Amino acid sequence: MLPPQRTYPLLARNQVRISLRRMKTRQGWFMRVVMGVMLAYSAFILLTLGFFFDRFSITLWPDVPPVDVVNRSLLAAFISLFFIRFLFQKTPRMKIVPYLHLPIPHHRLVTFFQAASLLSIHNFYPLLFFVPFWMRFVVAEGSVEGHFMWIGAIFLLIVASHFANLLLRGVLKQRAGLFYIWMSLFIATAFVDEAAGIGLQQSLSDFLFSRILSGEPTGLILLLAFSAFVVAASTFSLARSLRNPDGGQTATPARVRSFDIPEEWGLLGQLVRIELLLMWRNRRPRHYLFVSLLFSTLYLVFMLSSGQAFGSVAFSALLGLFASGGFALNYGQLMFGWDSTHYPAMVSRNVGFHTMVSAKLIVLQLSCLALFVTSLPLFIWLRPDLVALHFAFLFYNAGITSVLVMELATRNRQRVDIGRSGGFFNYEGFSARHWLWFIPTALPPVLFLQVMHNAPRVGLTVLATIGLVSLVFTSLWTRYFAGGLNARKHAMLEGFAGRAG
Amino acid sequence: MRVELNKIVKKYGAKKALDVPAWLLEDGEVVGLVGSNGAGKTTFLRILLDLLEADHGNVRMDGRDVRRDASWRARTGSFLDRSFLIEYLTIPEYLEFVGTTFGLSRRETAERLEPFESFLPLSRIDRNRLLRDLSTGNAKKVGILAALFVRPEFVVLDEPFANLDPPSQIRLKQILADMAADPERSMIISSHDLGHVTEVCPRITLLQSGEIKRDLETSEKTLEELNSWFSDEGISSAT
Repeated sequence: MLPPQRTYPLLARNQVRISLRRMKTRQGWFMRVVMGVMLAYSAFILLTLGFFFDRFSITLWPDVPPVDVVNRSLLAAFISLFFIRFLFQKTPRMKIVPYLHLPIPHHRLVTFFQAASLLSIHNFYPLLFFVPFWMRFVVAEGSVEGHFMWIGAIFLLIVASHFANLLLRGVLKQRAGLFYIWMSLFIATAFVDEAAGIGLQQSLSDFLFSRILSGEPTGLILLLAFSAFVVAASTFSLARSLRNPDGGQTATPARVRSFDIPEEWGLLGQLVRIELLLMWRNRRPRHYLFVSLLFSTLYLVFMLSSGQAFGSVAFSALLGLFASGGFALNYGQLMFGWDSTHYPAMVSRNVGFHTMVSAKLIVLQLSCLALFVTSLPLFIWLRPDLVALHFAFLFYNAGITSVLVMELATRNRQRVDIGRSGGFFNYEGFSARHWLWFIPTALPPVLFLQVMHNAPRVGLTVLATIGLVSLVFTSLWTRYFAGGLNARKHAMLEGFAGRAG
Repeated sequence: MRVELNKIVKKYGAKKALDVPAWLLEDGEVVGLVGSNGAGKTTFLRILLDLLEADHGNVRMDGRDVRRDASWRARTGSFLDRSFLIEYLTIPEYLEFVGTTFGLSRRETAERLEPFESFLPLSRIDRNRLLRDLSTGNAKKVGILAALFVRPEFVVLDEPFANLDPPSQIRLKQILADMAADPERSMIISSHDLGHVTEVCPRITLLQSGEIKRDLETSEKTLEELNSWFSDEGISSAT
């Protein structure tokens, strides 16, 4: 067995090497530049917000001191961050598996990977706001012990949130859907609490953190105890899961739900069914499905209820585009990439490209309808003035957005691992083209409605008509895409096999 | 089905992966494709199934270029590797899909699967298990089954015996022999297992470094001849 002083540096060196190689192989220079700019920009925003929070808070809550604003929002902020973590943060279990056969004690592996998991953007980025905010505003209030207890509480909340997520993911494994339902209910309750003016969650948050800031230790002790509990529990859960390194997947495979389609629908029906099963039974496609549903429900509630804060025509157009077209825009880009691992299963059989494209277009167009129906009650409730826009974008998204996205998808040659998490910065399968494609997809309707802002009804009617006409000519599009796929078949097969990009 | 390879050349950079001036598989013929690792067997099969583009030459099935006319796909059953499986489907879902691509109804699919019950007992298997949760051997059985149950005119299998347990290998040999008895069915079976392939295939094509080195009728001496060839090749590659 390796001694600890050699084990930890060895593991650290190996993990750094793996991370660097992964970055090099998975992302091209363009993606690295885009990601670097995005990271730097968001870091800048958080730092600025932390240092100059008073300038923001005074416009929204002119009579409330910045520290009170933050104190009463802390619980809600951490709950939201926790939800984002759950969607995107990965557990260290899979990283440990390749080391299990080596002469390294399992408890050392667990200790190392639990500690290393803290080096996450989810833990680092909140501090970019909280540390400058603490230096600028918190230290100006109350006692010195209170200042350190307050920032200590923030650190504890981050640690607790981090390990609670690891614990929860370990426990839930295949039951993520149940968690999404509970979390959605929780957020809905929080929204009702806010919208109905009850403010229970705000009062609780304010009470807890004001007491901590005043030097009262009870709240901090409770947080410390909770953090210690989740660290210990998640470590125990991880150690226990290593006794069954494949996660029990071989022994007890996931429960499978299926559905039949009428036999008369033939091969087209089979392909639509396969598309639906793909997005339901695989992690990354499912992730896109949930995010689209979340946008068209919960996020949309917040966006629509923000009223005049986001009242511009351009913003409304983007809202319309994403409310019914969010799934097509996100998921649709990889419509053929999702098939990369089994593309030979399709093209070596009697599955014509025409039928394949038809099935995928049907799924994209139906997704627009499904998201439209899901979000329509929210538009009627919160912004009835935007219902016409929502209708117009249903036709535009089904007729035009789906086609534009399909054009991009048929040119995709990068392999996608559908079993991997769809977490932050997992852009496997995406290339510079995908980012640039957003411009011709999103910009024309936004600019058009901006130009037509004096005659919005006419603008929306034109948009809807264009979409409808395109829908009528779906068979022409299908033929066009099938031709392109046939011409690029070998290049796609090579790319999907990972032999070329 | 009659299958011809004409002046096929495939290169990866400067390295020639396949160079076949001419090769013919007659209607009803069964050929075993043998060769060492990297000999070009899989490249041969991929070009045959139009999954890989040759730099030169063409493949014709019943006189039609496979790249220009896809009608051969409705008459061909093939399994090369796990990429031929849709791993997030269950076995019944996958087989139903394959049946549909051949225009079979659910009832017809079930009927055609019955004779293969001894090879893959679908009635006793967990129907809710996804293909990705199957062992390598069972996944291979599903792939082979999908290629055969549709009763295609042309069968292409890559290493069908590898990863199968001995009883399954014996059953598969019997199934292939039964299918080969149909005079209208052509088959090409690539394998490293010289014993199995000489038992099943009346003709053997031997590939080495992308070129056809031998093309012989199987006889009592074929296995010995092949063993001798590969022993010599092993000695020459080791030196």
